[in-house]
Amino acid sequence: MGKLIVVACGAGINTSTIAEDMIRERLDAEGLEDVTVKRILMADIDGYVGQMNLIVSMMKIYREFDVPQVKGMPFLIGTMDEKQALLDEIVELIRA
Amino acid sequence: MLTLDPSFMLIRHTADDAESVISDLADTLHTYGAVQADYGQETIEREKKHPTGLPTKPFAIAFPHAEAKGVVESSLAVATLSSPVSFLNMADPEEALEVEVVFLLANKEPEEQVQALRQLALIFSDSEKLVYLREIESPAIAAEWFRDQLLNLE
Repeated sequence: MGKLIVVACGAGINTSTIAEDMIRERLDAEGLEDVTVKRILMADIDGYVGQMNLIVSMMKIYREFDVPQVKGMPFLIGTMDEKQALLDEIVELIRA
Repeated sequence: MLTLDPSFMLIRHTADDAESVISDLADTLHTYGAVQADYGQETIEREKKHPTGLPTKPFAIAFPHAEAKGVVESSLAVATLSSPVSFLNMADPEEALEVEVVFLLANKEPEEQVQALRQLALIFSDSEKLVYLREIESPAIAAEWFRDQLLNLE
């Protein structure tokens, strides 16, 4: 079955779009076509419990979920190396 | 396409707090006719709910903006500050950041805002570019620099 990565941001500022672009590109390069990347608002995250396999959050999350979560801010302001390291981590987590 | 007039570039600007920087930047856009008079106030309100400070290196920045209504012409106004002002961190609104450069975005279309943000992210994530920008001494050079940075991309 396909897996789902949600990219959550706080408002309609679209910072998550930048993260989504980079994750999508890396997943394609890895041949992980059965992984879906979906942008959501943090306020809607409860609707994805049970469906999502990984959370990439542009904001601090004050709660735990039953799936791993990583901070997406490096996609917006990190160096190339930081972006690469984050993509490596995401690929590793979604393959697990 | 973003309008980048030298009058939108406030160099070594002095302001007491985030609200006055936003309002000064919005005034430059309004004077030009790029936004309606209430764009500054709308942006200040939005900033309270959804802060836009970013812990970039080697100094923090902020990119306040409001919704598309109120925007006549998509544009970007920028202030480099003579001394930092506090903005809250977008990723953690409990944390205040001492911000040295403020980018006020005004976009007519949401899709265009995404595109502008993609381009600005390449500046936000490059410390050499941020330092270069902070040291620019004239509005005309700053506007030209932004045109170069943003035009190199799609």
